[in-house]
Amino acid sequence: MEKIANKVRETARLALANGEVNKILGWKKGDFWYDSYPAFITEEEGTASLIWDSFCVANLSKYLIEQLKEDIKVGVFLKGCDARAFNQLLKDNRVDRDKVVIYGLPCPGMIDPEKVKKAGLAKGLLDVQKSEDEVVFITKEGEQKFSAREFAYDKCLTCQYPNPVVYDELLAEEVERNNTTEYFYQDVEEIEKMSPDERFAYWVEQFSKCIRCNACRNVCPACSCEKCIFDNSKANVAGKAKVDSEEQFFHIVRAYHVAGRCVDCGECSRVCPVGIPLAKLNRKIIKDITEFYGEHNAGVNPSLDAPLETFKLEDIDPFETRAKGGK
Amino acid sequence: MSLENKQISSENTSNFKPLIVAFCCNWCSYAGADLAGTSRLNYPANVKIIKVPCSCRVNPNFVLRAFQRGADGVVIAGCHPGDCHYTSGNYYTRRRFTLMKNLLEYVGLEPERFKVDWISAGEGNKFAAVMNEALEQVHKLGPNRKLRDARWKR
Amino acid sequence: MKVLKKEKFPQIWQAINQAYELYLPIEKDDRVNFAQWTEGETVNLEALKTEISPKDVIFPQSETYLKFESDGKKLQLESVESENREYVLFGVRSCDAVSFNLIDNVFLREPIDRLYEKRRNKGTIVSLACSEPEENCFCSSFQIKPEEASPGVDVAAWDLGDKILWKPVTEKGQVLTQKFAQLMEDASQQDQEELIKLQNAIKEKVKELPLASVDPKVIKGELKEIFESKVWDELSQSCLGCGACTYICPTCHCYDIQDFAGGNCGERFRCWDSCMFSEFTLMAHGNPRTTQKQRFRQRFMHKLVYYPNNHGSYACVGCGRCIEKCPVNMNIVKVIKRLGGEG
Repeated sequence: MEKIANKVRETARLALANGEVNKILGWKKGDFWYDSYPAFITEEEGTASLIWDSFCVANLSKYLIEQLKEDIKVGVFLKGCDARAFNQLLKDNRVDRDKVVIYGLPCPGMIDPEKVKKAGLAKGLLDVQKSEDEVVFITKEGEQKFSAREFAYDKCLTCQYPNPVVYDELLAEEVERNNTTEYFYQDVEEIEKMSPDERFAYWVEQFSKCIRCNACRNVCPACSCEKCIFDNSKANVAGKAKVDSEEQFFHIVRAYHVAGRCVDCGECSRVCPVGIPLAKLNRKIIKDITEFYGEHNAGVNPSLDAPLETFKLEDIDPFETRAKGGK
Repeated sequence: MSLENKQISSENTSNFKPLIVAFCCNWCSYAGADLAGTSRLNYPANVKIIKVPCSCRVNPNFVLRAFQRGADGVVIAGCHPGDCHYTSGNYYTRRRFTLMKNLLEYVGLEPERFKVDWISAGEGNKFAAVMNEALEQVHKLGPNRKLRDARWKR
Repeated sequence: MKVLKKEKFPQIWQAINQAYELYLPIEKDDRVNFAQWTEGETVNLEALKTEISPKDVIFPQSETYLKFESDGKKLQLESVESENREYVLFGVRSCDAVSFNLIDNVFLREPIDRLYEKRRNKGTIVSLACSEPEENCFCSSFQIKPEEASPGVDVAAWDLGDKILWKPVTEKGQVLTQKFAQLMEDASQQDQEELIKLQNAIKEKVKELPLASVDPKVIKGELKEIFESKVWDELSQSCLGCGACTYICPTCHCYDIQDFAGGNCGERFRCWDSCMFSEFTLMAHGNPRTTQKQRFRQRFMHKLVYYPNNHGSYACVGCGRCIEKCPVNMNIVKVIKRLGGEG
């Protein structure tokens, strides 16, 4: 990855130097091994601090909404899921394609610091390096090697689009991912098998952890409304009380609102500070859409209509009545 | 919540009067309800009708809010596919609520508590039948506590 | 000073639970948070930090204080008194214990917040020293000593392997100790020596921590100067505007008051609010802070400038939760360093 990181820095430096863009959105490294965070760079010398490693998980495409309010041209580094997010923002008319230069980064999968911590490997950890399918943990005492899959984010384990679907320049060779689709709906199917009461108990328990911080909403590339209904006191929808029904209301609406537009980046689950498996709601909707209206991978091809923007006369009709009576 | 549910289900449900909220399209189902009324067909008084200009006006929030604020069942009634006053509104309804209904079942709501049906202005009989069936099924299930706000008093 | 053997834990939880409400760090789905103890819960006192700070126990996320009902003519109001019993909060780390004092500074000054005061007075706090500080801890930057009992706790405790050392500090702590003295033994000379050893070891570990050098005093200058610093533009760019940092933070204490309106009845409650949200402090004329930069600045100015100006201490205790939980790895350490001229 270090070779590609060099290319990231060089590309960014050149782009700023020759005036191709006014600002670069990339990642920088902070105090800790897992601390790769978004960087906004306008000066050529600033590009030296850019990095590309296994912790560049933050999606930079949603920042474009805010950044493009100024009349500037922005260069942005996007991974596979980020690129789908970009396309979705494009489709939702939230960004202007002409004002963005995309540097695509084929993504080998990101490492989940929580999994590292849980395995008890975080103590004294100085650096983590990843090559192909191996991950190396470096401490003062020495090195330890593991299979990379063990520490990958859950969302990366089922990723179908590691390569950017939209870019102006691709900075590395496309990666091959052998994630099968076999387990794609495994979590959803497990819940579907439960009885209604079990399902409800499961979700009540999950939702009751919610602290209403809105991280799932704010990180979501499909949640890009100018003003969210939950932030609009006049809409009389938001209730901040910590009661079950408010939490259920929020999470059902959040998941449903991105139906057909969810790019399946799994960021909602990743950022949840209390570990609610939110992507399981979104996956359920994706599963139903696939089953009823055919496969639709939001953000892959922005010229396609989203399933809820359109209809077919011959759509399935689960409601055709069973009640007798007729005319 | 689950404890509460158990208490409720163990209660005597014989004097339980279900509350059904029915969102009815102005151009068909609402007129269907009218016809049911003028034809003196029996349909239960605890169906509360909310008139909407088209079934696709129903925002999923409305359905959730109804359950939150005391509904034991929710019905959306619109024109038959192909008959929409605005040509295509109910086709959108069909897609939206196919997904919504599945999602609600996924979080644990019983399928009988939420239905969508197509009822034309001439189908007074059907209107009464749909509402009676909804009521009967909800009555069997007992009072709804799922998605309900515990602070709400009827 | 007393000694409580760990094998007696189940017994003492049961005993305390009969006389008090008992809050402990409880493990569920691999995550540890303070919650009310009931038989069968997995208590985890090894985990250093709970995911969310225990401030929820003294300052609940939402709390109803008024119910109203109208019969069409008359409006009836009913004040809701909390029915909570006295409670014991066991296993609070030094940083979190100090955060309670910081919140006290706000709520227990005139005009005193009665709801808070009542709940606060019902609590007996048992602290637990941090035997193994973690890499994102920086409490020493705020003169907090993880090896000692923070001011304000009622009982101080230290983990000595198969037992904990138990030292009542306040009268309330004495009462609690006396109630359950039959489950404890007197500490021996050897225990005392072990304690000193442990404390010294903790001090050494704290010095070695990667963030030990973080010093909020690097933020110098006039309020106006800091307020207008260009640094805010730069730092706030990556902020998503979610409230994760504020809700897991032990010192954030802003709240909102809302009504839940039913048909002809309802309740008025207060709930946590976050300065990161666009509708925070929304007034009739609109919102005084309209951009994320302004909101971001507000949060850190409050912690590092306004609060110290008003109360004489920083409103951060260096627990490191925001370092762990921010979706984009923006946190108060980065802000302090940058305001101090670094980077």
